[in-house]
Amino acid sequence: MSGGPTGDRLIRVDMTRQTATVEPFPDEWKLLGGRALSAKILLRECDPKCDPLGPENVLVMAPGVVSGTAAPTSGRISIGGKSPLTGGIKEANAGGEPGQDLVKLGYRAIVVKGKPSDPSKRFGLEVTSQGAKLVPADAYKARWNYALAEELAKKYPATTSFISIGPAGELQLKGASVACTDEHKRPARHAARGGLGAVMGSKGLKYVAVDNERKPVRRPAQPKEFAGLCKTYTKEYLGGPQMFKWGTSSVVPIANMLNTFPYKNRTSGQSPDVATLDGKRIVESFETRGGGMHNCMTGCIVRCSNIVHDAEGKYKTSALEFETLTMLGANCAIASWEDVAELDRLCDEVGLDTIETGAAIAVYMDSGGMEWGDAKGAQRILHEIAEGTELGRAIGDGALAIGRKRKHGRIPVVKGQAIPAWDPRPLKATGVTYATSPMGADHTAGLIVNPGMPADQFARASQESQLVNAVCDSSGFCQFLQPTIEDIAGFYSALHGEPVSREQVADIGWQCLLDEWEFNERAGFTEADDDLPEVMKTEGVGPGGVMKFDVPREIIRQAKQRFAPREELFKSKATG
Amino acid sequence: MARVPNLKIPPPYRGPTRGVAEVKLSGETVLACLDAAESLFPGFRSQVLDASGTPHRFVRLFLNGDELGEGALATPVGPGDEIEVLAAIAGG
Repeated sequence: MSGGPTGDRLIRVDMTRQTATVEPFPDEWKLLGGRALSAKILLRECDPKCDPLGPENVLVMAPGVVSGTAAPTSGRISIGGKSPLTGGIKEANAGGEPGQDLVKLGYRAIVVKGKPSDPSKRFGLEVTSQGAKLVPADAYKARWNYALAEELAKKYPATTSFISIGPAGELQLKGASVACTDEHKRPARHAARGGLGAVMGSKGLKYVAVDNERKPVRRPAQPKEFAGLCKTYTKEYLGGPQMFKWGTSSVVPIANMLNTFPYKNRTSGQSPDVATLDGKRIVESFETRGGGMHNCMTGCIVRCSNIVHDAEGKYKTSALEFETLTMLGANCAIASWEDVAELDRLCDEVGLDTIETGAAIAVYMDSGGMEWGDAKGAQRILHEIAEGTELGRAIGDGALAIGRKRKHGRIPVVKGQAIPAWDPRPLKATGVTYATSPMGADHTAGLIVNPGMPADQFARASQESQLVNAVCDSSGFCQFLQPTIEDIAGFYSALHGEPVSREQVADIGWQCLLDEWEFNERAGFTEADDDLPEVMKTEGVGPGGVMKFDVPREIIRQAKQRFAPREELFKSKATG
Repeated sequence: MARVPNLKIPPPYRGPTRGVAEVKLSGETVLACLDAAESLFPGFRSQVLDASGTPHRFVRLFLNGDELGEGALATPVGPGDEIEVLAAIAGG
């Protein structure tokens, strides 16, 4: 089938009838990709009041606008749907290869609806330039992600990348992630937050195989201008400080100093184990064990992802990030980065969000379920999640589920989603993001690390950060490349061969937020949900416990009322 | 009035400075300026330098827009110079 006016196509999958069809991608959506496209599709095609694990929910897989082009670090893919964790709209994005491969084939999105009548059935979706088709995948039932990727790599051409779920997704647990394979075909890049793996599992979709058939990168309408932008942008980035060249794990000590390195279910903002969890230890291990820094997707110039080896020099996991070291490490009083590496690998294998799972285990420990710092016990729990035991299911359903089951009072979640490492008490503007973001507590929605910021700046800072990040997550660029709205407008213009202004791009970001807020409102959310849990207001961190989330409601409300765009907005860098 | 080195403070480090983004300091080297900042804003220095006195991995130091490499801390500074601290605080 030929494509639409831009030549792009969209794949529709009906899991009830087990059909896959291809249709032209609407020209009106050509500047929409990733998160903004997912929001648009969900608002139009998904009943916000539906059961997130029922046939009415819609699962969207959408690469960014510039994914699949030669633009640096631009191949991210958004996974979207109604979240079983929050009950609202959700977008989680990942690096790896599938996003780029889909666009190289001309596909701007996969939209999955329905549900097989037999819940025991598993399917794979095969995508090539000729179209898409569902195939039986019962043979891979309950397969862990790494073993699955290995088997699929043998079955499909070497030019194929994969999107998959592990046992947690198949069990439809609310902390389940969606994995994407990297350049080495390792399922190490996860669209982790919000339980979208459970949505994929509810539809019986075990994997998507995308064979790029060695297709070239997407050709822009103005190749010379586009290439010029790529060259200039890359040169400037590589000539700059390359702030993320040692990965996010290197921020552990400063996060500890800023009281945003949560310890023991956030009862402290600092951990006594900061030295043994410092990413510096990982970098030091490269010399004796191997591993090192690499790019998680083709064409990435940031190379923030670490490959971690064990004491025998064998691959253990990738990437071991700040959030994981904090939530599965310090927050559970697990002191060794090597223990956290093991837990990270298990989460990737089972298909779990490390933030949600770390928060859930910490709540379990805090409620007396197990000893603080019990790394072996935490490993056992991850195995129980894969096996679907009662305890495993409760923890696999996230911090709120296990907290309620244990009748525990300290449950640090917003809209049902665990608060990430970046703490809203020292970082109050980030707390405004957690309160107002359609995503619930999500640092990638709008992180502001500015502990000295005056309160009257919180609302605008949060809104601008949310807007810039929404634009970035719709573009396909990685937040760690830190593109500005102006940068993105330039790439869009050269890609489509028509002027796209920075104001237009900013409006796309704002419209994305509006679409998501509208979805949530229709799902039943009210202003009362735009708040942080009491524990963040009553239990402080820092010296004397003085840092509490005490931002007035009026300021929180302002973050959802658009400020007139100012010059700084267009030059703000995405950050998450 | 004599012009003295100016230190630009990145947002993540403005806790100890209570929101102050720039400060003029007395000091003949980058290190002396960081020490001077510490005396004004206790807790600032340890955010830039580790216990051994080396810049953290996530910190970069710039003088008049140029990144300082090896020996950054001993770099002489004079009136009107601008020291900038950049910090990669994000992610994961």
